[in-house]
Amino acid sequence: MEFLNNPEFGEKLVTLMAALALVIQIAMVGQRSLIMNIRMYGTQSFLLGAIAGAIAHFNGAWHIYIAAFLTITVKAILLPILLERLADRIGIRHEIEPILGTPVSIVISGALTFIAYIVGESFYHPGPGAALGRNTLAVAISIFLIGFFMMINRRKALTQVLALLSLENGVFLAAICLTYGMPLIVEVGVFFDVLVAALVLGILVYRIRENFESMDVSKMRRLRG
Amino acid sequence: MIALILKAVLQTALLLALAPLLSGFIRSLKARLQMRRGPSPLQPYRNIFKLLRKGMVMPDTASWLFSATPYIFFLTTLTAGLMVPTVAADTPAGLFGGVLALAYLLGLGRFFLALGGLDTGSSFGGLGSSREMMISALAEPTLMLAVFTVAIGAGSTALAEIARVAIGQEWRFLEPSQMLACAALFLVLIAETGRIPVDNPATHLELTMIHEAMILEYSGPYLALIEWGAAIKQLVLMTLLINVFWPFGLAAGWTFPGALAGLGWLVVKLIALSCVIVVVETANAKMRLFRVPELMSVAFVLGALALISSFLF
Repeated sequence: MEFLNNPEFGEKLVTLMAALALVIQIAMVGQRSLIMNIRMYGTQSFLLGAIAGAIAHFNGAWHIYIAAFLTITVKAILLPILLERLADRIGIRHEIEPILGTPVSIVISGALTFIAYIVGESFYHPGPGAALGRNTLAVAISIFLIGFFMMINRRKALTQVLALLSLENGVFLAAICLTYGMPLIVEVGVFFDVLVAALVLGILVYRIRENFESMDVSKMRRLRG
Repeated sequence: MIALILKAVLQTALLLALAPLLSGFIRSLKARLQMRRGPSPLQPYRNIFKLLRKGMVMPDTASWLFSATPYIFFLTTLTAGLMVPTVAADTPAGLFGGVLALAYLLGLGRFFLALGGLDTGSSFGGLGSSREMMISALAEPTLMLAVFTVAIGAGSTALAEIARVAIGQEWRFLEPSQMLACAALFLVLIAETGRIPVDNPATHLELTMIHEAMILEYSGPYLALIEWGAAIKQLVLMTLLINVFWPFGLAAGWTFPGALAGLGWLVVKLIALSCVIVVVETANAKMRLFRVPELMSVAFVLGALALISSFLF
Protein backbone atom coordinates (compact mmCIF):
# COMPACT_ATOMS: atom_id res chain seq x y z
CA MET A 1 0.00 0.00 0.00
CA GLU A 2 2.90 2.29 -0.80
CA PHE A 3 0.86 4.53 -3.08
CA LEU A 4 -1.49 5.50 -0.27
CA ASN A 5 1.19 7.84 1.04
CA ASN A 6 2.40 9.11 -2.30
CA PRO A 7 1.43 12.79 -2.70
CA GLU A 8 1.36 12.45 -6.49
CA PHE A 9 -1.31 9.77 -6.23
CA GLY A 10 -3.19 12.01 -3.83
CA GLU A 11 -3.13 14.85 -6.30
CA LYS A 12 -4.45 12.58 -9.07
CA LEU A 13 -7.19 11.32 -6.79
CA VAL A 14 -8.27 14.82 -5.82
CA THR A 15 -8.28 15.99 -9.44
CA LEU A 16 -10.35 13.01 -10.46
CA MET A 17 -12.92 13.58 -7.74
CA ALA A 18 -13.06 17.28 -8.56
CA ALA A 19 -13.72 16.44 -12.20
CA LEU A 20 -16.51 14.08 -11.13
CA ALA A 21 -18.01 16.85 -9.01
CA LEU A 22 -17.99 19.09 -12.08
CA VAL A 23 -19.66 16.40 -14.18
CA ILE A 24 -22.34 16.05 -11.51
CA GLN A 25 -22.85 19.81 -11.55
CA ILE A 26 -23.37 19.79 -15.32
CA ALA A 27 -25.65 16.78 -15.04
CA MET A 28 -27.70 18.72 -12.48
CA VAL A 29 -28.25 21.40 -15.11
CA GLY A 30 -29.54 18.75 -17.50
CA GLN A 31 -31.61 16.79 -14.99
CA ARG A 32 -35.29 17.66 -14.80
CA SER A 33 -36.36 15.66 -11.80
CA LEU A 34 -36.17 17.56 -8.52
CA ILE A 35 -35.56 14.50 -6.36
CA MET A 36 -32.73 13.37 -8.63
CA ASN A 37 -31.31 16.87 -8.38
CA ILE A 38 -31.29 16.74 -4.61
CA ARG A 39 -29.61 13.33 -4.65
CA MET A 40 -27.01 14.56 -7.12
CA TYR A 41 -26.31 17.46 -4.82
CA GLY A 42 -25.80 14.95 -2.01
CA THR A 43 -23.37 12.95 -4.16
CA GLN A 44 -21.47 16.07 -5.09
CA SER A 45 -21.17 17.07 -1.44
CA PHE A 46 -19.98 13.59 -0.62
CA LEU A 47 -17.27 13.93 -3.26
CA LEU A 48 -16.24 17.24 -1.76
CA GLY A 49 -16.04 15.62 1.65
CA ALA A 50 -13.88 12.88 0.15
CA ILE A 51 -11.64 15.52 -1.46
CA ALA A 52 -11.25 17.23 1.89
CA GLY A 53 -10.45 13.89 3.49
CA ALA A 54 -7.87 13.11 0.83
CA ILE A 55 -6.22 16.51 1.26
CA ALA A 56 -6.19 16.02 4.99
CA HIS A 57 -4.55 12.63 4.59
CA PHE A 58 -1.95 13.57 2.02
CA ASN A 59 -0.97 16.84 3.62
CA GLY A 60 -1.18 15.66 7.19
CA ALA A 61 -3.52 18.44 8.27
CA TRP A 62 -5.70 16.85 10.91
CA HIS A 63 -8.21 19.68 11.24
CA ILE A 64 -9.38 19.21 7.66
CA TYR A 65 -10.64 15.80 8.75
CA ILE A 66 -13.21 17.67 10.80
CA ALA A 67 -14.21 19.73 7.77
CA ALA A 68 -14.50 16.51 5.74
CA PHE A 69 -16.60 14.86 8.44
CA LEU A 70 -18.85 17.92 8.71
CA THR A 71 -19.24 18.13 4.92
CA ILE A 72 -20.31 14.54 4.66
CA THR A 73 -22.70 14.59 7.62
CA VAL A 74 -24.23 18.00 7.01
CA LYS A 75 -24.17 18.50 3.26
CA ALA A 76 -24.21 14.94 1.95
CA ILE A 77 -26.68 13.44 4.43
CA LEU A 78 -28.56 16.01 6.49
CA LEU A 79 -29.35 18.64 3.83
CA PRO A 80 -30.55 16.19 1.14
CA ILE A 81 -32.89 14.55 3.69
CA LEU A 82 -34.14 17.95 4.76
CA LEU A 83 -34.72 19.10 1.19
CA GLU A 84 -36.41 15.86 0.21
CA ARG A 85 -38.78 16.17 3.14
CA LEU A 86 -39.50 19.74 2.10
CA ALA A 87 -40.17 18.65 -1.47
CA ASP A 88 -42.46 15.96 -0.12
CA ARG A 89 -44.37 18.39 2.04
CA ILE A 90 -44.87 20.84 -0.78
CA GLY A 91 -45.94 17.98 -2.96
CA ILE A 92 -43.72 18.43 -5.99
CA ARG A 93 -41.77 15.42 -7.06
CA HIS A 94 -40.29 16.39 -10.37
CA GLU A 95 -40.29 18.87 -13.22
CA ILE A 96 -37.93 21.74 -12.69
CA GLU A 97 -39.04 23.82 -15.69
CA PRO A 98 -35.93 25.83 -16.50
CA ILE A 99 -36.20 29.01 -18.51
CA LEU A 100 -33.81 27.89 -21.23
CA GLY A 101 -34.06 24.45 -22.79
CA THR A 102 -31.80 21.65 -21.62
CA PRO A 103 -29.42 21.42 -24.61
CA VAL A 104 -28.80 25.17 -24.58
CA SER A 105 -28.29 25.17 -20.81
CA ILE A 106 -25.78 22.36 -21.01
CA VAL A 107 -23.83 24.03 -23.77
CA ILE A 108 -23.82 27.25 -21.75
CA SER A 109 -22.48 25.29 -18.77
CA GLY A 110 -19.71 23.98 -21.00
CA ALA A 111 -18.88 27.53 -22.06
CA LEU A 112 -18.88 28.64 -18.41
CA THR A 113 -16.40 25.88 -17.62
CA PHE A 114 -14.18 27.16 -20.38
CA ILE A 115 -14.36 30.67 -18.95
CA ALA A 116 -13.58 29.27 -15.51
CA TYR A 117 -10.46 27.63 -16.85
CA ILE A 118 -9.27 30.89 -18.36
CA VAL A 119 -10.06 32.80 -15.18
CA GLY A 120 -8.46 30.13 -13.02
CA GLU A 121 -5.29 30.34 -15.08
CA SER A 122 -4.77 33.98 -14.16
CA PHE A 123 -5.18 33.24 -10.44
CA TYR A 124 -2.65 30.50 -10.50
CA HIS A 125 0.90 31.34 -9.55
CA PRO A 126 2.87 28.16 -9.12
CA GLY A 127 4.78 28.28 -5.89
CA PRO A 128 6.60 25.52 -4.04
CA GLY A 129 4.20 22.87 -2.80
CA ALA A 130 1.10 24.27 -4.48
CA ALA A 131 0.71 21.62 -7.15
CA LEU A 132 -2.93 21.09 -6.38
CA GLY A 133 -4.29 24.53 -7.09
CA ARG A 134 -4.61 24.70 -10.81
CA ASN A 135 -7.06 22.01 -11.87
CA THR A 136 -9.11 22.09 -8.79
CA LEU A 137 -9.37 25.85 -8.70
CA ALA A 138 -10.68 25.88 -12.28
CA VAL A 139 -13.19 23.17 -11.39
CA ALA A 140 -14.24 25.13 -8.29
CA ILE A 141 -14.79 28.31 -10.30
CA SER A 142 -16.81 26.42 -12.89
CA ILE A 143 -18.98 24.83 -10.22
CA PHE A 144 -19.50 28.30 -8.80
CA LEU A 145 -20.39 29.84 -12.19
CA ILE A 146 -22.66 26.98 -13.19
CA GLY A 147 -24.40 27.23 -9.82
CA PHE A 148 -24.98 30.90 -10.50
CA PHE A 149 -26.33 30.12 -13.94
CA MET A 150 -28.64 27.51 -12.45
CA MET A 151 -30.04 30.07 -10.04
CA ILE A 152 -30.80 32.42 -12.90
CA ASN A 153 -32.18 29.69 -15.11
CA ARG A 154 -34.74 28.27 -12.70
CA ARG A 155 -38.12 29.55 -11.76
CA LYS A 156 -39.07 27.77 -8.58
CA ALA A 157 -37.73 28.89 -5.24
CA LEU A 158 -36.77 25.41 -4.05
CA THR A 159 -34.66 24.68 -7.09
CA GLN A 160 -32.97 28.04 -6.67
CA VAL A 161 -32.07 27.08 -3.11
CA LEU A 162 -30.53 23.91 -4.48
CA ALA A 163 -28.54 25.93 -7.00
CA LEU A 164 -27.33 28.23 -4.22
CA LEU A 165 -26.17 25.24 -2.20
CA SER A 166 -24.24 23.79 -5.13
CA LEU A 167 -22.71 27.23 -5.71
CA GLU A 168 -21.55 27.11 -2.10
CA ASN A 169 -19.95 23.73 -2.86
CA GLY A 170 -17.83 25.49 -5.46
CA VAL A 171 -16.73 28.08 -2.91
CA PHE A 172 -15.87 25.34 -0.45
CA LEU A 173 -13.82 23.50 -3.06
CA ALA A 174 -11.94 26.66 -4.00
CA ALA A 175 -11.19 27.42 -0.36
CA ILE A 176 -9.96 23.97 0.48
CA CYS A 177 -7.80 23.51 -2.58
CA LEU A 178 -6.14 26.91 -2.39
CA THR A 179 -5.47 27.12 1.30
CA TYR A 180 -5.32 23.42 2.22
CA GLY A 181 -7.90 24.16 4.82
CA MET A 182 -8.84 27.39 6.52
CA PRO A 183 -8.68 27.74 10.28
CA LEU A 184 -11.15 25.41 11.88
CA ILE A 185 -13.28 28.14 13.39
CA VAL A 186 -13.89 29.63 9.92
CA GLU A 187 -14.90 26.27 8.53
CA VAL A 188 -17.28 25.54 11.34
CA GLY A 189 -18.75 29.00 10.95
CA VAL A 190 -19.31 28.43 7.26
CA PHE A 191 -21.03 25.13 7.96
CA PHE A 192 -23.46 26.60 10.38
CA ASP A 193 -24.03 29.40 7.92
CA VAL A 194 -25.00 26.93 5.23
CA LEU A 195 -27.16 24.89 7.55
CA VAL A 196 -29.00 27.91 8.86
CA ALA A 197 -29.34 29.35 5.36
CA ALA A 198 -30.85 26.08 4.14
CA LEU A 199 -33.28 26.01 7.08
CA VAL A 200 -34.32 29.62 6.64
CA LEU A 201 -34.68 29.24 2.90
CA GLY A 202 -36.67 26.06 3.44
CA ILE A 203 -39.13 27.91 5.67
CA LEU A 204 -39.19 30.80 3.21
CA VAL A 205 -39.97 28.46 0.33
CA TYR A 206 -42.78 26.94 2.37
CA ARG A 207 -44.18 30.39 3.16
CA ILE A 208 -43.99 31.50 -0.47
CA ARG A 209 -45.89 28.38 -1.38
CA GLU A 210 -48.48 29.01 1.31
CA ASN A 211 -49.09 32.61 0.31
CA PHE A 212 -48.92 32.44 -3.45
CA GLU A 213 -49.93 28.82 -4.07
CA SER A 214 -46.90 28.54 -6.30
CA MET A 215 -43.18 28.61 -5.92
CA ASP A 216 -42.63 30.45 -9.15
CA VAL A 217 -40.74 33.53 -8.03
CA SER A 218 -41.67 35.42 -11.18
CA LYS A 219 -45.24 35.49 -9.87
CA MET A 220 -44.15 37.45 -6.81
CA ARG A 221 -44.55 40.70 -8.72
CA ARG A 222 -48.09 40.75 -7.46
CA LEU A 223 -46.70 42.00 -4.18
CA ARG A 224 -46.44 45.51 -5.62
CA GLY A 225 -49.04 48.09 -4.88
CA MET B 1 4.22 -6.93 -47.73
CA ILE B 2 3.09 -10.49 -47.17
CA ALA B 3 3.01 -9.82 -43.46
CA LEU B 4 0.78 -6.81 -44.07
CA ILE B 5 -1.64 -8.80 -46.19
CA LEU B 6 -1.64 -11.57 -43.63
CA LYS B 7 -2.47 -9.09 -40.89
CA ALA B 8 -5.29 -7.62 -42.96
CA VAL B 9 -6.72 -11.07 -43.67
CA LEU B 10 -6.48 -12.10 -40.03
CA GLN B 11 -8.14 -8.93 -38.77
CA THR B 12 -10.89 -9.16 -41.38
CA ALA B 13 -11.55 -12.75 -40.38
CA LEU B 14 -11.61 -11.74 -36.72
CA LEU B 15 -14.08 -8.92 -37.35
CA LEU B 16 -16.33 -11.08 -39.52
CA ALA B 17 -16.36 -13.93 -37.04
CA LEU B 18 -16.54 -12.03 -33.76
CA ALA B 19 -19.14 -9.38 -34.65
CA PRO B 20 -22.28 -11.58 -34.81
CA LEU B 21 -21.15 -13.45 -31.70
CA LEU B 22 -20.83 -10.15 -29.83
CA SER B 23 -24.31 -8.95 -30.72
CA GLY B 24 -25.70 -12.39 -29.93
CA PHE B 25 -23.91 -12.35 -26.60
CA ILE B 26 -25.27 -8.92 -25.69
CA ARG B 27 -28.76 -10.03 -26.67
CA SER B 28 -28.70 -13.22 -24.63
CA LEU B 29 -27.08 -11.47 -21.65
CA LYS B 30 -29.82 -8.87 -21.74
CA ALA B 31 -32.47 -11.59 -21.86
CA ARG B 32 -30.89 -13.33 -18.88
CA LEU B 33 -30.79 -10.11 -16.88
CA GLN B 34 -34.49 -9.58 -17.59
CA MET B 35 -35.31 -13.14 -16.45
CA ARG B 36 -36.05 -14.33 -19.96
CA ARG B 37 -34.46 -17.32 -21.59
CA GLY B 38 -33.53 -15.50 -24.77
CA PRO B 39 -31.92 -16.84 -27.94
CA SER B 40 -28.53 -18.52 -27.87
CA PRO B 41 -25.55 -16.24 -28.53
CA LEU B 42 -25.07 -18.05 -31.83
CA GLN B 43 -28.44 -16.91 -33.15
CA PRO B 44 -27.08 -14.01 -35.29
CA TYR B 45 -24.92 -16.48 -37.24
CA ARG B 46 -28.00 -18.58 -37.94
CA ASN B 47 -29.95 -15.49 -38.99
CA ILE B 48 -27.24 -14.33 -41.37
CA PHE B 49 -26.84 -17.83 -42.78
CA LYS B 50 -30.56 -18.19 -43.31
CA LEU B 51 -30.94 -14.77 -44.89
CA LEU B 52 -28.02 -15.36 -47.25
CA ARG B 53 -29.74 -18.42 -48.71
CA LYS B 54 -33.11 -16.79 -49.18
CA GLY B 55 -34.41 -15.02 -52.23
CA MET B 56 -35.16 -11.34 -52.02
CA VAL B 57 -37.95 -8.97 -52.84
CA MET B 58 -37.05 -5.73 -54.56
CA PRO B 59 -39.45 -2.80 -54.46
CA ASP B 60 -40.57 -1.67 -57.93
CA THR B 61 -39.45 1.88 -57.26
CA ALA B 62 -35.92 0.92 -56.25
CA SER B 63 -32.98 2.19 -58.28
CA TRP B 64 -29.38 0.98 -58.37
CA LEU B 65 -28.73 2.84 -55.11
CA PHE B 66 -30.93 0.38 -53.31
CA SER B 67 -28.84 -2.59 -54.39
CA ALA B 68 -25.49 -0.83 -54.03
CA THR B 69 -26.14 0.29 -50.47
CA PRO B 70 -25.68 -3.04 -48.65
CA TYR B 71 -22.32 -3.66 -50.29
CA ILE B 72 -21.10 -0.14 -49.62
CA PHE B 73 -22.24 -0.23 -46.00
CA PHE B 74 -20.67 -3.62 -45.40
CA LEU B 75 -17.37 -2.79 -47.08
CA THR B 76 -16.90 0.67 -45.57
CA THR B 77 -17.55 -0.72 -42.12
CA LEU B 78 -15.12 -3.56 -42.66
CA THR B 79 -12.45 -1.17 -43.98
CA ALA B 80 -12.99 1.07 -40.99
CA GLY B 81 -12.51 -1.99 -38.81
CA LEU B 82 -9.07 -2.56 -40.33
CA MET B 83 -7.93 0.79 -38.91
CA VAL B 84 -8.75 -0.04 -35.31
CA PRO B 85 -6.25 -1.83 -33.09
CA THR B 86 -7.84 -5.14 -32.10
CA VAL B 87 -5.39 -7.67 -30.74
CA ALA B 88 -2.22 -5.61 -31.27
CA ALA B 89 -1.53 -1.91 -31.38
CA ASP B 90 -0.39 -2.23 -34.96
CA THR B 91 -3.26 -1.91 -37.44
CA PRO B 92 -3.30 -3.49 -40.91
CA ALA B 93 -4.73 -0.43 -42.68
CA GLY B 94 -3.14 2.16 -40.41
CA LEU B 95 -1.15 3.41 -43.37
CA PHE B 96 -4.27 4.70 -45.06
CA GLY B 97 -5.60 6.85 -42.31
CA GLY B 98 -6.33 7.31 -38.68
CA VAL B 99 -9.26 8.46 -36.67
CA LEU B 100 -10.60 10.81 -39.33
CA ALA B 101 -10.67 8.10 -41.96
CA LEU B 102 -12.40 5.79 -39.49
CA ALA B 103 -15.09 8.31 -38.58
CA TYR B 104 -15.81 9.23 -42.18
CA LEU B 105 -15.77 5.68 -43.49
CA LEU B 106 -18.46 4.93 -40.94
CA GLY B 107 -20.15 8.18 -42.01
CA LEU B 108 -20.04 7.13 -45.66
CA GLY B 109 -21.71 3.83 -44.85
CA ARG B 110 -24.37 5.60 -42.85
CA PHE B 111 -24.93 8.12 -45.64
CA PHE B 112 -25.58 5.37 -48.16
CA LEU B 113 -27.79 3.53 -45.72
CA ALA B 114 -29.90 6.67 -45.39
CA LEU B 115 -30.00 7.01 -49.18
CA GLY B 116 -31.08 3.39 -49.44
CA GLY B 117 -33.86 4.09 -46.97
CA LEU B 118 -35.01 7.07 -49.01
CA ASP B 119 -34.63 5.36 -52.37
CA THR B 120 -37.73 3.21 -52.26
CA GLY B 121 -39.93 6.18 -51.46
CA SER B 122 -41.59 4.48 -48.52
CA SER B 123 -42.54 6.81 -45.71
CA PHE B 124 -40.98 4.58 -43.04
CA GLY B 125 -37.64 4.60 -44.83
CA GLY B 126 -37.65 8.36 -45.14
CA LEU B 127 -38.56 8.76 -41.49
CA GLY B 128 -35.79 6.42 -40.40
CA SER B 129 -33.23 8.14 -42.60
CA SER B 130 -34.10 11.56 -41.33
CA ARG B 131 -33.89 10.43 -37.71
CA GLU B 132 -30.66 8.56 -38.23
CA MET B 133 -29.09 11.61 -39.85
CA MET B 134 -30.22 13.84 -36.99
CA ILE B 135 -28.68 11.57 -34.38
CA SER B 136 -25.48 11.03 -36.29
CA ALA B 137 -25.08 14.75 -36.87
CA LEU B 138 -25.21 15.16 -33.11
CA ALA B 139 -22.96 12.19 -32.35
CA GLU B 140 -20.20 12.86 -34.85
CA PRO B 141 -18.68 16.03 -33.33
CA THR B 142 -18.63 14.29 -29.96
CA LEU B 143 -16.79 11.32 -31.41
CA MET B 144 -14.27 13.71 -32.90
CA LEU B 145 -13.75 15.64 -29.66
CA ALA B 146 -13.37 12.48 -27.61
CA VAL B 147 -10.83 10.93 -29.91
CA PHE B 148 -8.91 14.17 -30.37
CA THR B 149 -8.47 14.30 -26.61
CA VAL B 150 -6.53 11.07 -26.80
CA ALA B 151 -4.84 12.03 -30.05
CA ILE B 152 -3.35 15.16 -28.48
CA GLY B 153 -1.68 13.05 -25.82
CA ALA B 154 -0.24 10.73 -28.42
CA GLY B 155 0.66 13.48 -30.89
CA SER B 156 -0.90 11.57 -33.76
CA THR B 157 -4.33 10.76 -35.11
CA ALA B 158 -3.23 7.31 -36.23
CA LEU B 159 -4.96 4.84 -33.95
CA ALA B 160 -1.98 2.51 -33.94
CA GLU B 161 0.19 5.30 -32.60
CA ILE B 162 -2.40 6.28 -29.99
CA ALA B 163 -2.65 2.72 -28.75
CA ARG B 164 1.14 2.32 -28.71
CA VAL B 165 1.58 5.43 -26.57
CA ALA B 166 -1.19 4.26 -24.27
CA ILE B 167 0.30 0.80 -23.72
CA GLY B 168 2.94 1.97 -21.27
CA GLN B 169 0.44 3.75 -19.02
CA GLU B 170 -2.38 1.41 -18.13
CA TRP B 171 -3.72 3.60 -15.34
CA ARG B 172 -3.96 6.67 -17.49
CA PHE B 173 -7.72 6.23 -17.78
CA LEU B 174 -8.03 7.57 -14.25
CA GLU B 175 -7.08 11.04 -15.44
CA PRO B 176 -10.06 13.42 -15.63
CA SER B 177 -9.66 14.18 -19.32
CA GLN B 178 -9.55 10.48 -20.16
CA MET B 179 -12.58 9.73 -18.02
CA LEU B 180 -14.60 12.53 -19.58
CA ALA B 181 -13.62 11.52 -23.11
CA CYS B 182 -14.39 7.90 -22.31
CA ALA B 183 -17.85 8.83 -21.02
CA ALA B 184 -18.49 10.95 -24.12
CA LEU B 185 -17.42 8.11 -26.40
CA PHE B 186 -19.64 5.70 -24.49
CA LEU B 187 -22.66 7.90 -25.15
CA VAL B 188 -21.67 8.06 -28.81
CA LEU B 189 -21.43 4.28 -28.82
CA ILE B 190 -24.96 4.04 -27.42
CA ALA B 191 -26.30 6.44 -30.04
CA GLU B 192 -24.41 5.03 -33.00
CA THR B 193 -25.24 1.40 -32.36
CA GLY B 194 -28.89 2.21 -31.71
CA ARG B 195 -28.96 1.06 -28.10
CA ILE B 196 -31.85 1.69 -25.77
CA PRO B 197 -31.96 5.24 -24.48
CA VAL B 198 -31.69 6.39 -28.09
CA ASP B 199 -33.07 3.61 -30.26
CA ASN B 200 -34.42 0.16 -29.58
CA PRO B 201 -32.52 -2.55 -31.45
CA ALA B 202 -35.26 -5.12 -30.90
CA THR B 203 -38.22 -3.17 -32.20
CA HIS B 204 -39.99 -3.70 -35.48
CA LEU B 205 -42.85 -1.76 -36.99
CA GLU B 206 -43.15 0.82 -34.33
CA LEU B 207 -43.24 4.52 -34.84
CA THR B 208 -40.22 4.92 -32.60
CA MET B 209 -37.71 2.90 -34.54
CA ILE B 210 -34.76 4.54 -36.23
CA HIS B 211 -32.25 2.12 -37.67
CA GLU B 212 -34.78 -0.60 -38.36
CA ALA B 213 -37.04 1.83 -40.19
CA MET B 214 -34.30 2.61 -42.67
CA ILE B 215 -33.69 -1.00 -43.61
CA LEU B 216 -37.31 -2.03 -43.57
CA GLU B 217 -37.43 -2.66 -47.32
CA TYR B 218 -34.41 -4.91 -47.40
CA SER B 219 -34.70 -8.66 -47.43
CA GLY B 220 -32.66 -11.77 -48.09
CA PRO B 221 -28.90 -11.48 -48.69
CA TYR B 222 -29.03 -7.67 -48.65
CA LEU B 223 -30.55 -7.68 -45.20
CA ALA B 224 -27.92 -10.20 -44.11
CA LEU B 225 -25.16 -7.87 -45.32
CA ILE B 226 -26.67 -4.90 -43.52
CA GLU B 227 -27.18 -6.77 -40.27
CA TRP B 228 -23.70 -8.19 -40.43
CA GLY B 229 -22.34 -4.73 -41.20
CA ALA B 230 -24.20 -3.24 -38.25
CA ALA B 231 -22.77 -5.94 -35.98
CA ILE B 232 -19.27 -5.17 -37.28
CA LYS B 233 -19.80 -1.47 -36.70
CA GLN B 234 -20.76 -2.18 -33.12
CA LEU B 235 -17.68 -4.35 -32.66
CA VAL B 236 -15.45 -1.68 -34.22
CA LEU B 237 -16.78 1.10 -31.98
CA MET B 238 -16.56 -1.05 -28.86
CA THR B 239 -13.01 -2.09 -29.72
CA LEU B 240 -12.11 1.53 -30.31
CA LEU B 241 -13.45 2.53 -26.91
CA ILE B 242 -11.70 -0.34 -25.18
CA ASN B 243 -8.31 -0.22 -26.82
CA VAL B 244 -7.86 3.50 -26.93
CA PHE B 245 -8.83 4.18 -23.35
CA TRP B 246 -7.85 0.96 -21.67
CA PRO B 247 -5.15 -0.77 -23.68
CA PHE B 248 -4.63 -3.42 -21.03
CA GLY B 249 -2.91 -6.52 -22.41
CA LEU B 250 -2.64 -5.11 -25.90
CA ALA B 251 0.42 -6.40 -27.74
CA ALA B 252 2.65 -3.89 -29.53
CA GLY B 253 3.15 -5.92 -32.69
CA TRP B 254 1.63 -8.95 -34.36
CA THR B 255 3.69 -11.75 -32.87
CA PHE B 256 1.94 -15.05 -32.35
CA PRO B 257 1.95 -15.24 -28.53
CA GLY B 258 1.35 -11.49 -28.19
CA ALA B 259 -1.60 -11.53 -30.56
CA LEU B 260 -3.06 -14.56 -28.82
CA ALA B 261 -2.83 -12.87 -25.43
CA GLY B 262 -4.23 -9.70 -27.00
CA LEU B 263 -7.18 -11.70 -28.35
CA GLY B 264 -7.84 -13.11 -24.91
CA TRP B 265 -7.76 -9.67 -23.32
CA LEU B 266 -9.92 -8.27 -26.11
CA VAL B 267 -12.59 -10.86 -25.42
CA VAL B 268 -12.44 -10.21 -21.68
CA LYS B 269 -12.74 -6.46 -22.14
CA LEU B 270 -15.53 -6.84 -24.70
CA ILE B 271 -17.45 -8.98 -22.21
CA ALA B 272 -16.95 -6.34 -19.53
CA LEU B 273 -18.13 -3.53 -21.82
CA SER B 274 -21.10 -5.65 -22.95
CA CYS B 275 -22.12 -6.06 -19.32
CA VAL B 276 -22.09 -2.27 -18.90
CA ILE B 277 -24.15 -1.82 -22.05
CA VAL B 278 -26.64 -4.46 -20.98
CA VAL B 279 -27.10 -2.85 -17.58
CA VAL B 280 -27.59 0.57 -19.19
CA GLU B 281 -30.09 -0.88 -21.65
CA THR B 282 -32.05 -2.66 -18.95
CA ALA B 283 -32.04 0.17 -16.45
CA ASN B 284 -33.23 2.85 -18.87
CA ALA B 285 -36.37 3.39 -20.83
CA LYS B 286 -36.19 4.56 -24.39
CA MET B 287 -36.10 8.34 -24.65
CA ARG B 288 -38.53 10.35 -26.63
CA LEU B 289 -36.90 11.30 -29.92
CA PHE B 290 -36.85 14.96 -29.01
CA ARG B 291 -35.03 14.22 -25.77
CA VAL B 292 -32.16 12.62 -27.65
CA PRO B 293 -30.50 16.00 -28.41
CA GLU B 294 -30.32 16.56 -24.64
CA LEU B 295 -28.38 13.35 -24.19
CA MET B 296 -26.14 14.19 -27.09
CA SER B 297 -25.51 17.70 -25.82
CA VAL B 298 -24.37 16.18 -22.53
CA ALA B 299 -22.04 13.96 -24.51
CA PHE B 300 -20.80 16.93 -26.51
CA VAL B 301 -20.07 19.00 -23.43
CA LEU B 302 -18.28 16.04 -21.83
CA GLY B 303 -16.13 15.73 -24.94
CA ALA B 304 -15.45 19.46 -25.01
CA LEU B 305 -14.52 19.44 -21.31
CA ALA B 306 -12.19 16.53 -21.91
CA LEU B 307 -10.45 18.46 -24.67
CA ILE B 308 -10.27 21.64 -22.60
CA SER B 309 -8.87 19.86 -19.58
CA SER B 310 -6.29 17.99 -21.62
CA PHE B 311 -5.17 21.27 -23.13
CA LEU B 312 -4.98 23.29 -19.96
CA PHE B 313 -3.61 20.78 -17.49
